Amino acid sequence: MRHILPLLFALLLAGRAHAQANESELRVFCYFQNIWAYERFANSDGSELKFDSFSVQQLNLFLQRDLARRWTAFVNFEALNSYSSARNWGSFSLEEAWVKYRFGSRMSIKLGQHVPPFNNFNEIKNRTPLMPYIVRPLVYETSYREFIAIDDYAPGRAYAQIYGYVPRGETKIDYAFYVGNGPEISDTVDSELGQTGIDTTTSILVGTRLGVRHGEWKAGLSATAEQVEDAKAYFASLGAPFNPGELDALFSALKKPVGQVTRWRWGGDLSFHLGKFSFEGEVIHAGYNDNVAELKFDRDFSYATIGYQHSEALLIYASYQTEEGEFTRYHDIYGGIFQLSADIDLPVFGFAYRVNDRVTVKGTYAPVDINVDISNAAYEQENQELTYIGAAVSIIF
Amino acid sequence: MLGTQIQTRLQKWVARSVSTRWLVVLVLAIPATSSAAQVAVIAHLDAPADTLASTRLLDFYTGDVQTWNGEIAVVIFDLKPRTEVKKAFYHFLGKSPSRMKSIWMKRLLAGEGEPPQALGSNREMLEKVATTSGAIGFAHRDSVYGPVKILAIIPISSR
Repeated sequence: MRHILPLLFALLLAGRAHAQANESELRVFCYFQNIWAYERFANSDGSELKFDSFSVQQLNLFLQRDLARRWTAFVNFEALNSYSSARNWGSFSLEEAWVKYRFGSRMSIKLGQHVPPFNNFNEIKNRTPLMPYIVRPLVYETSYREFIAIDDYAPGRAYAQIYGYVPRGETKIDYAFYVGNGPEISDTVDSELGQTGIDTTTSILVGTRLGVRHGEWKAGLSATAEQVEDAKAYFASLGAPFNPGELDALFSALKKPVGQVTRWRWGGDLSFHLGKFSFEGEVIHAGYNDNVAELKFDRDFSYATIGYQHSEALLIYASYQTEEGEFTRYHDIYGGIFQLSADIDLPVFGFAYRVNDRVTVKGTYAPVDINVDISNAAYEQENQELTYIGAAVSIIF
Repeated sequence: MLGTQIQTRLQKWVARSVSTRWLVVLVLAIPATSSAAQVAVIAHLDAPADTLASTRLLDFYTGDVQTWNGEIAVVIFDLKPRTEVKKAFYHFLGKSPSRMKSIWMKRLLAGEGEPPQALGSNREMLEKVATTSGAIGFAHRDSVYGPVKILAIIPISSR
């Protein structure tokens, strides 16, 4: 025993030394974005609401380590909106935890929870230091999850992905194929299924992005398909004016079964740099092949941003976003045809000034027009004008 | 051009055959008339290439290609000072220094890799490239000597 212990110790040290030969040090890095925002809501009935406040809009903490020559592990924690469990503010989540294996420069596989590529922006939507925006294109604005059904538009999580590129001269053809869960139970807040923290869906999400890069030009097409297991609960989660009670009445009146619904997302993206000018734009369509023809939940989103790099440090931009959702029920519980269309038009003007490699100051102004058109007079019209002025400082270290 | 090639070969020969002290003396004695206002793209002697096109170099610097031949890992270096040398190098790649920084930042935050180490001077660049397997970097042509390969010459005046 006296000889075995030193031997074991030596073996452990030898194993450790061998492991360390292929490992990098653990890298820890973090970024956060503090904002001051002034918001003025003007309702169509003449009433007004004003807010101005400071907050930590977002904080991300990353852990990364190269486990071996071709293996990399990555973890990303995210805290939103001045997260405080004591005050019941904001949220904290494990956004990513994956390991990557590189077959070579042109192909990698990612296993574990990660944000999949969909259009140009989805994969980097939470990387605030990379973008000049304070408020991101709406369907990517994680802070607005309660107001905008962002999970409808872009896939939030995947669990296995194979991706890379194929060179064709100076052009590169990007590819990515991924699978994940169907819409997560945890997104259906207050659903009849409850909040167990366990995803009980039996379906999977499949998705792809195929793109092309040439110099400073980049374009791509994206698509996903997934099964919504409990359509009633899911539609109820989409928000007003639907709720489980109303949907119960509707489905009962229609004598229709509520089963699986296939959700499709289609997307296209284009971005380029031309001298001091840059452009990025996307279109997204989310639609449902439901088995209740009387329901329509299709949604569309598009945005385009033109940037001007005034100097190495200063970028000025103008952006225009539009979100349109049409919700149609041909037989509503009040006995008439019910149609609701909601659209948001959002011009955004702003700048980002990089003080140094670690600190970026941002400013933005956005006059937002929210129109909700409801065909049935039993519901209240909800037209609003929102003026948003924001200032932010983004730090990475 | 011929002068540059002769100078490069001479430097390689010198690097392999004499001590550092004599190397410095000898290299300083070599006329450098053809190297005025030029950037040299340099690599470690184990790099399996004698020349490098700007597209390939861009692939290395954007991280699209991370090995020389599937085996030797490419290690890229950047220069910290905002000099004409740095501007000319990234102009050769078709990017501005700020654009390259945003590309590296994106790679870092996507878990794809770290930005290159930014070195403080041409001398430091030479030392790092000379002593790091698979390394590639750039420096003012006049300051290049010792055991490194010159893969490309970029005239600063072409900007």
